[in-house]
Amino acid sequence: MNALLGNPMVTTAAPPFLLGMVMALLARFALPPPVLSLVSAALLLFFYWDTLGPPVVPPVAASQKLIYLAFAGIVMGLLPDRLLGASLASKLVAAALAAALLWLGWRRLAGGSFDLQMIAALVAGLLAIVGAAMLLSLKASPSPPVEEPFLVPAAVLALCLAGAIISVLGASIVTGQLLGSLAALVGGWCLVQYIAVLRGGTAIAWNKGTELLLTFAAATVLIQVALLAPKANPVALMLSPLPLAVAALVPGLLRGLVPGARPLRPLVAGLLIAMTAILAILTAMLFAPHGAALGFS
Amino acid sequence: MTTNNGESYVTMRNLTAALAFASVCAFASAAYADNYEIDGQHAWVTFTIKHGIYGTAHGQFDAVKGAIVMDKADPSKSSVKAELDVGSVHTAYDQRDSDLKGPDFFNAAEFPAISFESTKVEKVSDITGKVTGNLTISGVSKEITLDVTLVNEAPAPWDATLTKAAFTATGKVSTADFPMAKAAAGFGLGPDVDIVIDLEAVKK
Repeated sequence: MNALLGNPMVTTAAPPFLLGMVMALLARFALPPPVLSLVSAALLLFFYWDTLGPPVVPPVAASQKLIYLAFAGIVMGLLPDRLLGASLASKLVAAALAAALLWLGWRRLAGGSFDLQMIAALVAGLLAIVGAAMLLSLKASPSPPVEEPFLVPAAVLALCLAGAIISVLGASIVTGQLLGSLAALVGGWCLVQYIAVLRGGTAIAWNKGTELLLTFAAATVLIQVALLAPKANPVALMLSPLPLAVAALVPGLLRGLVPGARPLRPLVAGLLIAMTAILAILTAMLFAPHGAALGFS
Repeated sequence: MTTNNGESYVTMRNLTAALAFASVCAFASAAYADNYEIDGQHAWVTFTIKHGIYGTAHGQFDAVKGAIVMDKADPSKSSVKAELDVGSVHTAYDQRDSDLKGPDFFNAAEFPAISFESTKVEKVSDITGKVTGNLTISGVSKEITLDVTLVNEAPAPWDATLTKAAFTATGKVSTADFPMAKAAAGFGLGPDVDIVIDLEAVKK
């Protein structure tokens, strides 16, 4: 038991998972949406600070820029709900992710090293931008189907989980921990919401601000992994942001694949969204340069 | 002018000029420093760091280049400029090497080189000195001091036109001073890193 509790994977995932559950319970019973955005922002900053250390002024390395990007995402996410509609959120996240890709990658871009990993990083970055823009452009339905509140959390969860494993196997432990923490937080949220659905209730949806700041945070860390993890699998990297776009297609193109049975709809939608992430994880594990053992050497 | 011993006169005059020239050359060689280029094939930049509660991990950078200016008459005018290729780091275990090149530690993709540039050289004895300078890792510079010993300087036995000097340097840095601080602490590494450098340099 002590060994289990001392395992870095458990200590990375367990507290955020519990916090995600608490956040979901509070959202069900107490937290109005703007306060939920604030809580998400505070938790996000805590994870960044805990994993990457305090902000460095001025930031030099890409990893030092991540916390500043999180701040930027939080500022956008805390815009009042009446201002932050689907259209503005979609444009904001696309523009901010494009800027983040350039800022995080400028040393590599300036170096002109367009090797396979750099090409994969650019493709992954572009897919993250397009996927995030598509996802945040979704508008809340007047009478939402049961799976709708799960679409964005499931996409962020799948992206973070794939990114975390690709990162650790690709020799970037810290970003793996950060994405693992985010995945656990969102996983805790999804579990509580799904239990509510099983009990005949409805899941609480994230407001646009929370969607924006968590999607932006997950995508920027994934871009950092793609740009800098020296052994990250290029194919896995390109597959990992796809859950964002797939989630955006669930209410439209993929609607026919979601079954009629109420308790199954969030599960099947989640599975569809996670499919490309599962492929990414399998690819990363099968072609891991040092084997698929997660851990530090 | 011609005399009976005119030929000798010319010889004396030439000899005087030659001696004067030699004196100037001797003075010049004393006043000016010698330039050396680090011989990358004979350079070993090694480091050791405590590995958690267990042993001591060893590593080495294979690709080293740089220049040394050595002024024996006035060592304070000496200088060192060197660069290590982060991609050449190895620790006898591939996965650990990848981790070290990754963004958590040396961050080779963004910062492919580690550099050292001296700012002060102090003589301690005829063959030892202290070289202080800025060590830059992952874009962050920190002043360190190396204890340097001139091991030997001599023409190569196989080629008299090739003069080499050999140096040993030791020093200490802390992972806490560089962007790797958080990762190193998280994995129980260091924070002290002992550096031992053995290198040869070719006189230009």
